[in-house]
Amino acid sequence: MYLTRDEQAVLDGEQGTGAQKAMELVTALGKIYGADGLVDITSAHLSGASYKTIGDGGLKYLEDLAAGGAQVAVSATLNPVGMDRERWREMHITPEFAAKQLRIIDLYSQMGVRPTCSCTPYLGDNVPAMGDHVAWAESSALSFVNSYIGARTNREGGPGALAAAILGKTANYGLHLDQNRQPTVVIEAEGMGDSVFDYSLLGQAVGTVVGGGVPYFRGINPTVEDAKTLSAAMAAAGSVALWHAEGCTPEAGTCRTAGLETVRIGPAERQKAKEQLNTTDDPQLIAIGCPHLSPKEMRDIAALLKGKQKKRRDVEVWFCTSAAVRAACPDEVREMERFGPVLADTCMVVAPIEGTFQRAATNSAKAGNYLPTLCSQKVLFGDVADLLKVIE
Amino acid sequence: MIMRGRAIAPGYAEGEALVLNESFSFLGGIEGATGKLHVRDGSVAGKVFLFPKGKGSTVGSFVMYDLMVHGKAPAAVVNRTAETIVTTGAVIASIPLVDGLDVSLVRDGDRVSVDGTRGYVELKGVQYIETVSAAILVDGKVLMLHRPAGAHSFPDCWSLVSGKLERGETPEEAARREVREETQLEVGLPDAAGTPLLIREQQTVWKVWPLLYRLKAAQPVLNHENTQFAWVDPAAVGNRCTVDGLAAVLKGLLG
Repeated sequence: MYLTRDEQAVLDGEQGTGAQKAMELVTALGKIYGADGLVDITSAHLSGASYKTIGDGGLKYLEDLAAGGAQVAVSATLNPVGMDRERWREMHITPEFAAKQLRIIDLYSQMGVRPTCSCTPYLGDNVPAMGDHVAWAESSALSFVNSYIGARTNREGGPGALAAAILGKTANYGLHLDQNRQPTVVIEAEGMGDSVFDYSLLGQAVGTVVGGGVPYFRGINPTVEDAKTLSAAMAAAGSVALWHAEGCTPEAGTCRTAGLETVRIGPAERQKAKEQLNTTDDPQLIAIGCPHLSPKEMRDIAALLKGKQKKRRDVEVWFCTSAAVRAACPDEVREMERFGPVLADTCMVVAPIEGTFQRAATNSAKAGNYLPTLCSQKVLFGDVADLLKVIE
Repeated sequence: MIMRGRAIAPGYAEGEALVLNESFSFLGGIEGATGKLHVRDGSVAGKVFLFPKGKGSTVGSFVMYDLMVHGKAPAAVVNRTAETIVTTGAVIASIPLVDGLDVSLVRDGDRVSVDGTRGYVELKGVQYIETVSAAILVDGKVLMLHRPAGAHSFPDCWSLVSGKLERGETPEEAARREVREETQLEVGLPDAAGTPLLIREQQTVWKVWPLLYRLKAAQPVLNHENTQFAWVDPAAVGNRCTVDGLAAVLKGLLG
């Protein structure tokens, strides 16, 4: 792996131990994946933000890193954390958890990371441009910016993305290179409706089939909300980090599809994908907003709830979005709050809901995959309208 | 014995080997405060921890950091294939990491040094010897030789014609010499060569070069190294007590 004289100097410790450690990590990851050198990045997005997921080991790591004076060199945003910063009591969070969670946010802030705490930073103020090299963790967000925007990132882990942000560089391999961005399989999507939920089902079916491949879709024309949902579902059901949609996504025109295997995903396959994730019909929590709700989704849900009443008191409803979207949608928030809290900075997967609930409902295939493993939940997986019938 | 792998995370350390011959997840696989393993007995604290590959949650990297904070981290880690989680954990917790090595050659308790900056792993007190293993085939039967009870390695076991490479010899040259010495037969170029095998026997790692010779007829005359010979159906060699790796050698040569 080639390092410039300046990069080698950082590795040799001439810029201090914080930068040296970051360079050790970026070059070590580059070595195992065969990188030829480093590439400058324009932004980073970091996972490893919830105290629930990183634990005391992660907290201590951040304490040590911040105490060493580490600072990010590029625009960097943070993934959802384990609770709403203000309304954590409504989420049954203990004060001990809250204190450690707030400390984690504080440590990232000390290092210059913007604590926006959302999995959809591309809907806010961290929006890469086509062709930009970036270092993003958060599987749904990195797939969105790779696919729908045409930025370039691998599936970074939390510490790797943070190290890249500190250096302003990441290792040049994988999806940073043209040849690895070509499709590996063609997906013929048949009978798609205009519901976002159809994209959750499509993503679940495709992720299961293609694993870590690069699918090229025919028969879809996804909106931002559809693309966000599709990216999340395929990254959770498989490990898809890049996809193309004919006539829609920015790199689709340069894709070579001759000779690729074609897989048809129709209503029957989508129905099967739905059944895969359903393990209960009796949820205690209905959690909507994985990935975080966009302003359009807030409007759609508020319209759906208008005139309806929540009758089941034993079922809680959470809506998850970013603080910016919550602040921008006061009318929708008022309508939605009749059913349950509109929470910012957090979600049902990274919050410690397993202390309170055993059965959760979601319209997200991503949450449907992670609720059983990360939160010990049985899952009701369905469209928002169907989920709300539980409590009407 | 010194093995050359890939230098992944820098640093140098020595310690006693602790070997796990399966993929390992630091999240759930170990207790961060003590280093005690859940998947087998023992603690990684201060040991050279060898396993083929990491798996599981990315939180595993932070478990490695937690081990370091508690003073229970392994002295070094060696993998067959390093992946993101273990690599990240090793770098942030300052644990030397080398990959690209066959960890199954290492035994619990071996004294191991790991140079994560240059990529070397040394098994102290373990010798490395290259040998040939020549399968002589006549009418579908393979020639097997029986070692005396007092043999240095694998006593009282059946083997193919085999022996160490002498300085400067190629495997083919060594095989021709060993066949002549042990059986008074003459062979030319081999009909097939198998992928070399690495076999651990006590304090020795043998690198075995498998070679196949098809002969029309043969009358072996043994020297002192073996007590008797037999022509054996390759499918039936498992019925005898043989040297390690013999079935793999034959499978590589005959399919």
